[in-house]
Amino acid sequence: MKTADPVQRDHRDAQWTARSIGTHFGHKFFYLLIRFGGRQTAYFFLSFVVIFYVFFTPSIRKKADYYLSRRFKGKHFPGRLADSYRIYLNLGKALIDRAVIGILGEGKMNIEFRKQEELLNLLKEGRGMVLMTAHVGCWQTAMATLRFLNVPVHLLMQREDGDIDLHYYEHAGIPCPYRIIDPRGYMGGVLEMIGVLKKGEVICVMGDRLLGSVKGAATVDFLGGKVLFPFSAFKIASATGTPVAVLLSHKSSPAGYVLEVARVIRVPRDAGKSEKDFSSYVSEFAQALELYTEAHPYQFFNFYNMWEGHLRNQ
Amino acid sequence: MTIKEKLKKLLIEELNLEDVTPEEIEDDAPLFGEGLGLDSLDAVELVVLLEKHFGVEVKDLDEGRSAFQSINTLVAYIEERST
Repeated sequence: MKTADPVQRDHRDAQWTARSIGTHFGHKFFYLLIRFGGRQTAYFFLSFVVIFYVFFTPSIRKKADYYLSRRFKGKHFPGRLADSYRIYLNLGKALIDRAVIGILGEGKMNIEFRKQEELLNLLKEGRGMVLMTAHVGCWQTAMATLRFLNVPVHLLMQREDGDIDLHYYEHAGIPCPYRIIDPRGYMGGVLEMIGVLKKGEVICVMGDRLLGSVKGAATVDFLGGKVLFPFSAFKIASATGTPVAVLLSHKSSPAGYVLEVARVIRVPRDAGKSEKDFSSYVSEFAQALELYTEAHPYQFFNFYNMWEGHLRNQ
Repeated sequence: MTIKEKLKKLLIEELNLEDVTPEEIEDDAPLFGEGLGLDSLDAVELVVLLEKHFGVEVKDLDEGRSAFQSINTLVAYIEERST
């Protein structure tokens, strides 16, 4: 007999939270700034808000330190303080940019999508596609630009109670352009995902955060330590013969983003059943993410101790 | 061997169910959660198992939801699709 579903049980193994920083009023204030003052005005006010959080809220600073201490080893105060400021400023800008797309329209941001053709070719294989992204850059910009695929796009997403950030389509007042699959749904959304891929459609998943328990995670190397990343998407890809495309975005200019297919991961049919059977594919994703942090160190937005979780899996 | 017997045997082998014999798997007991205690990762295995050993494809959530209730519903699903 078996116990406890790796995805559906009460998420007690999750180390992160999707809950927003700031108050409802604060978010509303920024949305108004964007609407009436534009992106630059919102950036200006953002810089003061970030100073407040970074300089006067040690707990917020600590959350960034987990990553920064590994990415920039040996750096001490005040260098670390400057890094914290920079990374939170970039996070704030990404949130503002997301709102800009929704409130002022996609035309206000320049989004360059590299290797579009590669994604279209993968879709032509007729087995759907898993788009694996991460909490870097502004992943929502990718979601806003996937229309060129001409197939329905589904997003595996867990939205927490108390999350007051609005998505770009909510700002725009348009219907959600993608269908959300909730991992807390029936069988963790697994059957839904398989059904979607069998129809040749697209599933977008976050490869850098574990939804549910460590049972669905593989331990891999990342930035000099061990982390737990989920492998269920690779298992589903194996079951359906679907290619996995790692899609990462980065802010390339004040009003510009680049979306790029970092790599395509092929998981053979019958790849296996357990963590060890899929850890090499999860590693490929982790390597792509590590390369990303080398190129864009201040656009990596995981503010929790990713390197602690694997200890609980031992 | 009947479909039911084959299914129970495969479930034990492919899903690595420990300390369970085919006879101990109740026909009407839930497969997921309480009962046999399968989880969402096992659901992926089950989809593969049905395709590989019975040539039956689970195409969407609704089909899976009704088929994956118990051994009896799975057998009915296989029989319906195999004929």
